[in-house]
Amino acid sequence: MSLEAYASAKQDEIHTDVLLQARQACYKARDAFYSCLEKHSDKKPTEIGSVGLLYPTECKPSREDYVKNCRVSWVKHFDRQYCKTKRTQRLLDDKETRRGV
Amino acid sequence: MPIYRFIFFSAKHRFAHASNLLPRFGSSKRIQSCGYTKSAKNNYYKKPTGHPVVNVETQASRSSGAYFIPPILLGFGGLLAFLHYNDERRAVKIGKDSYTGSDTAVAPIIGGPFTLVNSENQIVNEQDFLGNWVLLYFGYTSSPDIGPDQVRIMAKVIDTLEAKKNLKVLPVFVTIDPQRDTPAQLRAYLKEFDPRIVGLGGLVSAVRQMAQEYRVYFKKVEEEGDDYLVESSHSMYLIDPKMKVVRCFGVEYNAEQLSKEILKELKKHQVNA
Repeated sequence: MSLEAYASAKQDEIHTDVLLQARQACYKARDAFYSCLEKHSDKKPTEIGSVGLLYPTECKPSREDYVKNCRVSWVKHFDRQYCKTKRTQRLLDDKETRRGV
Repeated sequence: MPIYRFIFFSAKHRFAHASNLLPRFGSSKRIQSCGYTKSAKNNYYKKPTGHPVVNVETQASRSSGAYFIPPILLGFGGLLAFLHYNDERRAVKIGKDSYTGSDTAVAPIIGGPFTLVNSENQIVNEQDFLGNWVLLYFGYTSSPDIGPDQVRIMAKVIDTLEAKKNLKVLPVFVTIDPQRDTPAQLRAYLKEFDPRIVGLGGLVSAVRQMAQEYRVYFKKVEEEGDDYLVESSHSMYLIDPKMKVVRCFGVEYNAEQLSKEILKELKKHQVNA
């Protein structure tokens, strides 16, 4: 009986943190964090996020908000994506400074 | 492979004969000063005793030369016939299949039977979808961005096709993460996009078998206990009423392009049917 109850409980449990509202909240927090990064891009990044993303201390509260609203695997996924776009942007913008090309 | 061996063998055979022939012709040239044919005849009549060994040799070389030519020609002809037959045989093997008519290129047969559980906890297999056009997507509810985008595109396409062209296509979402995506989870997730989307899950083995049939790649990544992402090919399959996969769409299609392409496929199918 307990096994059935356990099974049915497991069946009914819904991960609400991937449903629409949670997703919207997560995207909002993520965008807020990244815009903070953009705004303070001239400051020296001292804090370390996941997968090697560095950010300055000014963005610490938005970072916490972001991590609170999103799943850990999502945070890692978005950070990795952000780093990749930053890197390609840097490569694309670097045309002027390269010599001999 | 056997062709090459055959050619090589026959070539060697022929060359051996040719090498046998050459010294004999050479020796016949040494005895006469005039042209080859005339002097051979002369040789035979004029000098019957002079060089008997050489005479016999030249005569033997001439007739044995004549003996070798027909087999060589036959061998060559046989080789040509064999190659021709082989070509015919291979052509038949590739071309004909059940895909006559619309497709000029023959693709591997994607798709197959499956038995899964839908969001109402009922068992569903592919027979239940016969007679409908189906747009199938393999995803999972915990996808951070691509999953929701694709399901949203799917919902929009279904809406567009039904509203504007009055064409019913059934959207199906198969979860590649059946351990976390219970029927209740699927129901709650898909309800937010479109109530018509059928969610399918079930046993891990059943899902894995279906993914294999549809050539879908999926893998758990970033695993931290219960929290993981599933890497997958994120493609949508368009399936005709006979449960045959017609087309595969990747993430690069947005809603308008997708509905246009699906419309094209439906029209093409109606022309053929």
